Amino acid sequence: MSAAPSGSNPSKTRDSDAQPITDKAPVPDQSAAADKPAQSARGARPALPLAEATAPTPRARTATGPPGGAAKPAARTETRVPARVVVAIQGVTKSYPNGRVALRGVDLTIPEGDFVFLVGPSGAGKSTVIKLLIRDELPTKGAVLLDDRDVAKLKRSEVPKIRRKIGIVFQDFKLLPNKSVRDNVAFALEVIGTPRREIAPAVDRALRVVGLTGQADQLPSQLSGGEQQRTAIARALVHNPRLFIADEPTGNLDPLISWEIIQLLLRINEMGVTVLMATHNAEVVTAVRKRVVALEDGRIVRDQVAAAYEREG
Amino acid sequence: MIAFVAFSLRRAWQGFRRNGLMSVAATATMVLMLVLLSGLIILLTGLNATLKSVEDQVQVVASLRDSASQSEILDLQTSLRNMPQVSQVGYVSKDQAYNDFVARHPDQVDVIKSLPNNPMPASLRINLRDPNDYVDVAAYLKNQPGVERVLNIKQTVDQMVTVINILRAGGVAILLVVGLIVLFIIVNTIRLAVVSRADEIEIMRLVGASDAFIRWPFVFEGAIVGLLGAVITIGLLFPITSFLSPYFKVLPVDAGIGVGQNIALIVLGTGVGIGVLGSYLSVRSYLHR
Repeated sequence: MSAAPSGSNPSKTRDSDAQPITDKAPVPDQSAAADKPAQSARGARPALPLAEATAPTPRARTATGPPGGAAKPAARTETRVPARVVVAIQGVTKSYPNGRVALRGVDLTIPEGDFVFLVGPSGAGKSTVIKLLIRDELPTKGAVLLDDRDVAKLKRSEVPKIRRKIGIVFQDFKLLPNKSVRDNVAFALEVIGTPRREIAPAVDRALRVVGLTGQADQLPSQLSGGEQQRTAIARALVHNPRLFIADEPTGNLDPLISWEIIQLLLRINEMGVTVLMATHNAEVVTAVRKRVVALEDGRIVRDQVAAAYEREG
Repeated sequence: MIAFVAFSLRRAWQGFRRNGLMSVAATATMVLMLVLLSGLIILLTGLNATLKSVEDQVQVVASLRDSASQSEILDLQTSLRNMPQVSQVGYVSKDQAYNDFVARHPDQVDVIKSLPNNPMPASLRINLRDPNDYVDVAAYLKNQPGVERVLNIKQTVDQMVTVINILRAGGVAILLVVGLIVLFIIVNTIRLAVVSRADEIEIMRLVGASDAFIRWPFVFEGAIVGLLGAVITIGLLFPITSFLSPYFKVLPVDAGIGVGQNIALIVLGTGVGIGVLGSYLSVRSYLHR
C-alpha cells in the first residue's frame, strides 16, 4: 500500500477568502494511528503485517480529539510525483426532467490520495455529485472522469467495472439483515465473480482494518450503529477501491461514534485510498482540517485546503 | 462459465432458502395456479373427447330398396368408402334389422310377427368424419337408384353442431382467460419476491456486479419455484385424478388416463416457464435505469 500525500495538496483554491495554503494540516492522532500499533479495545486480534491495518482504539481516539499540532506522519514521507488525478469533474451541469437544476457548471479535481469533504445544505447538489461519480445519473453537460475515463461515455456493460473502482457507504449502512458481518463483506466480492479462495483472506483483511474481526459472525441486528457502519466500510473496502465515497456516513450516529468512523476514514486515506465524504457534520469537518469543497445551490462556492466547515476569517 | 452457472445456482438456492416466507408464498401460489390450470385442462379434454364421441355418432342412414341387387349395393358401398367425408360404412341386412327391432321393442314382437313378411329394409349406415358434411352425403345417397329413402336428421345435426361449437369455443375462451390470470398472478407473486430484495439488488449494483451476476441467480430462483410448484402440483393431481376417474367411466370416452403424461408436461413447462419469465422481467426493471 503506497501512502500518497493526503488532503494537504497544494493549489485547489477557488475562493477569494481562502486560508493560506499550508502543507501541514493533518490531524494529530492520524500519525498515532499509523505509527504505533494500536491496542485493540476488543482484545485479541491477530498480529498484522500492516501497522495501518489495525483498528484504532475508539475511545482513546476520541479523547485525543481534534485540532492542535501538525505532525506529519512518517508513513507519508515517501512521496509520489506527480499525484494522479482520480476524479475530474469538468463543467458539469445536471438538470432533472422536472426542471430542477442540481448542479451548475461544477469543476472539481481530486488527486490520488486526497481527502475531501463535500459540504453544503441539503439540496445543494452533494448527492448529485456522488450519483454522477457512480454513474447512477448522467451529466446533462460536461464530463465526469474517473481515472481519466468519462463515465458518461461508458457502455452499459462497462458500468459495473467502473463501480468496482469505487467503494461507497451511506447514512443507512445498506447491510443485508440476514447475512452475518463476514457474509455481508464477502457478498461484495462474490457478486463480482471473485474466485472463492481469494474471498476469505480479503474479507479477513477488511474486517481487521475496521476492527470487526471479533464480530464477524454476528448479524447486523446484533451490532451497534457504529459497528454496522464499520461493516459497511469493510464491504466498501474489500475490493481495494481507488475512490472511497462516504455519503453522510455519520448521519445516523452519535458524536462519539461519528468520531470513530471519521478516524477510520482518515486511516483508510492514510493507506492510500482517495476519500470523498459528503457531510453535514460541521464539528468533524472543522476539527479534521482537510480539504473542504462547499456546494451551494448547485455551485462550488468554496474549495479550501485544511479548512473548516464554515467560511473562516 | 461453469463457475458462473455454479455460482448462480448456489445463489439461487441460497436466495430461495433464506427468504423462506416469500419462497413458500410464491411456490404455494404457483401450485394453486397450476392446479387450477391443469384441472381446467383435464375438464376441457374430457369435454372435447365427449363432444367428439357425440359427433362420431352422427350417421347417415339410407334404407335400401328390396329390389336392389347385391352388386348394386357393393358398388354403392365402395363409392361411399372412396368419399373423403366418409369414415366408415356399415351394412345392415333385412334379417339383422328385423332382429334389432325385436331386441329393441320386445313388447311389439307380436305385431311384427303377425306380418306376412319382414317389413324392415336393409340399410347402409355411414359414419362421417365431420357432421357438417351430412347434407352432402345425404344428397349423394338420395340420387342412388338402390336407395329408397335417406333418414332426414339434418335439423338435429345442425343443432348439435351449433351446441358443440359453442362449447368448444367457450372452452378455449375460458382456458385463455384462466391462462392469462395464472400468468399474471404468478408473475406478480415472483415480482413481489424480487421487490422484497430490492436492497440486495441495489447493493449488488453499487459494488459493481455485472447484470448477468444479478439476473441469473434470480432467474434460476424463479425456475426453482416453478419446478417445485410443478412437482407438487403433479403429486397432488395424480391421486385426485385416479380418485375421480371411476366417475368418468360413464362417459363413452377415455377422459383422463392417456392425458396424464401430457398434463404433467404442460404443468412442468408452464411452472418453470412462468417462473423464469417472471423473474427475468422483475429483475430487468431494476437493471435498466
